[in-house]
Amino acid sequence: MQSASEVLRPASLQEASDALAAASTSGRTLRIGETLLTDRLNRVLQHEAGDLTCTVEAGIRLSELRAVLAPHGQRLSLDPPGDPTVGACLAASLSGPLRHRFGGPRDLVLGVTLVLGDGTVANAGGTVVKNVAGYDLGKLVCGSRGTLALIARVSLRLHPVQSAAATLVVETGDAAGVAHALLRSQLQPSALDVLHPGRVLVLFEGVEPAVDAQLAAARALVGGAAGDEDAWAESRERQGAALGRLRFAPRDLRNTLSTLREAIVRPAVGVAYVPNRVGGVPPAGVRRLERGLKAAFDPAGALA
Amino acid sequence: MSLPPDLIGELETQVGPEHVIVEPEQLRVYDCDGLTGWRATPSAVVLPASTGEVQGVLRACSRASVPWVARGAGTGLSGGALPVAEGIVIALTRMDAILEVDLGSQRVVVQPGVTNLDVTRAVEADGFFYAPDPSSQQVCTIGGNVAENSGGAHCLKNGFTVNHVTGLTLVLPDGEAVELGGRSLDADGPDLLGVVVGSEGTLGIVTEITLRVLRTPEAVTTMLAAFHSLDAAGSACSRVISSGITPAAIEMMDRLTIEAAEQAFRPGYPEGAGSVLLVELDGVTAQVEHDARAVEALCRELGAFDVRVAQDAEERRLLWLGRKGAFPAMGRISPDYYVQDGVVPRTRLPEVLRRIEELSAERGLRVGNVFHAGDGNLHPLVLYDAAAGETERAKDLADAILEACLDAGGSLTGEHGIGVDKVCAMPGMFSERDLEVFTRLRAVFDPAGLANPGKVLPTPRLCGEVPGPFRLHPLERMGVAERF
Repeated sequence: MQSASEVLRPASLQEASDALAAASTSGRTLRIGETLLTDRLNRVLQHEAGDLTCTVEAGIRLSELRAVLAPHGQRLSLDPPGDPTVGACLAASLSGPLRHRFGGPRDLVLGVTLVLGDGTVANAGGTVVKNVAGYDLGKLVCGSRGTLALIARVSLRLHPVQSAAATLVVETGDAAGVAHALLRSQLQPSALDVLHPGRVLVLFEGVEPAVDAQLAAARALVGGAAGDEDAWAESRERQGAALGRLRFAPRDLRNTLSTLREAIVRPAVGVAYVPNRVGGVPPAGVRRLERGLKAAFDPAGALA
Repeated sequence: MSLPPDLIGELETQVGPEHVIVEPEQLRVYDCDGLTGWRATPSAVVLPASTGEVQGVLRACSRASVPWVARGAGTGLSGGALPVAEGIVIALTRMDAILEVDLGSQRVVVQPGVTNLDVTRAVEADGFFYAPDPSSQQVCTIGGNVAENSGGAHCLKNGFTVNHVTGLTLVLPDGEAVELGGRSLDADGPDLLGVVVGSEGTLGIVTEITLRVLRTPEAVTTMLAAFHSLDAAGSACSRVISSGITPAAIEMMDRLTIEAAEQAFRPGYPEGAGSVLLVELDGVTAQVEHDARAVEALCRELGAFDVRVAQDAEERRLLWLGRKGAFPAMGRISPDYYVQDGVVPRTRLPEVLRRIEELSAERGLRVGNVFHAGDGNLHPLVLYDAAAGETERAKDLADAILEACLDAGGSLTGEHGIGVDKVCAMPGMFSERDLEVFTRLRAVFDPAGLANPGKVLPTPRLCGEVPGPFRLHPLERMGVAERF
């Protein structure tokens, strides 16, 4: 029997399922990351290098996964600030500069094993890169903030690490103009951040001649100078310190920037990370569906 | 089947009498989709013209407890738009307006009846394109693409429909309209958008879709590599992917489909080829040039005896001609064929192809293989003659092929959907518990069970009381997960 304050650290699906089933029965509410930890669910279950896929327990940290993948010349193209777990990346929809080219967690997840609030263990998706069988619960839990289910296992799409990379730093009073010129061009950056006010960072990856060519073409288009990777550390650090995530239609970039004192902005994504909290209630229909999902997946309210 | 007496009148009030079809011979036009073996004549067909009208129609159905099936162009290959006889079909073909082209945001807002290719047509003069390209793209609609999470030859690099939809207006089965997402990405809260795309019309009807369009790449190179064996081509495909190159597309054809394509369209593929790989690379010029050299070298190393590189758009069209015409070409060499859509991990391609060959020999039916090799999505074409009583044997063989895909850790379907075609095979991929959770999700959107009933999730009525053959989930097969 769990005590009301005990911190639970399941080491297997069975233990996670038992913990949530017990909480559901006893009326206890668990908060993932506080009273229900996934730090013991942190194994790489499978990495098929030739398929560019892997399956991990969701408590694994990005740095741990990176260390496993790097020797194979592969990576999970998720680079949010800090060193969150894979499960946290999904649950809070965390991403970093690479979001520009490679998408967010919802674009990289191939399948999941969930433990619902009532202890039910359910699989969805699979381990292959293309699959439309059944409902995509792996996407559903992205952004769900641990309110519907514990994300126990995740299968992910990986990308090859390219042999060369270069960063362009553009100091500018017209970041919106620079960003739009780059987005309108045929260049294919891996990342494009506005460090508002005054700076645009662009990352090119590929084989060396292609990276050089893109860097030269970008400089001819918007100016700037080659920078180093530390520039991205600043971007991720400032994003990590931001409390709010503001959304805008990409065409409104200029207007959006004019209303902000400082922000880390991903122009193509339409997201600005801002220092202050951003309120916002989802539309009534969305709230209704979210309530319905909560009741269906966590009927006893075992997950906070 | 007859509907409740006042429903037709109410539907006519909602959409206008001229947009409600009840005459039997007109109804028959809607009695199947691209999976023509399954047919059912609906009790009525309604053609709404706006979100408001769709809401009105669904409210009326909800009050009368009448099931409905939404339909676009009817090109689906899994029977997802198969009508229910006691219900109505809601055809979205009149909702075919492109509502807004917002190139500043790289978004296009469309109604569901807009065809896939028309999205690209609306933006190509400005140097943009819509990436998902199912082979039916000239006629299939965006609404259908959203329902099926359609892919296409070029989704290897750019992703599927779900990666290109940023916003939706979804009308729930009770008639309420819900806005999901918008022009920016990563909305707060659970990714409802991500679960609605690919839900095969079982969660509601999308009436407005915001799509991401991409900048046309600077360079495109298409090459065709001919091999003596299917095995060699499969290995070459695996090697290209694992070498770190991400082509826009890698397609593969075997001897039988090459022969059929030659008879039908004369694309002039190399003589004596046991298989061909069609590889398209796009992106910035220097990268494409480098990758093209690397792919050619890899192919030659793995036994390609001829590699052709298209020098211009016309040559590219010729190289694609055989691949794009492969399905219709099959009609030349077989009275009937049945298409499967299984997926396998890319590294398992050669062994699964060998298994298909064995199965084909065992059952005495020919199987043509033409498929999206880059992402392991097979499209085995089981050739048979219904008139000669081979239908059952063909279905058996197709099922055995799917089983081989699942045994290799794959999926029942990569892009065609479960529909009604593979619904009874779902217990082979998902446990009873998994399916029960899918049912919970479905009921959140559609508690009354009126939206496309009988699709996606197996029911005793459809599949019999005995659950289908149980098979381990891919994770369990790998020995890394246990079942509950």
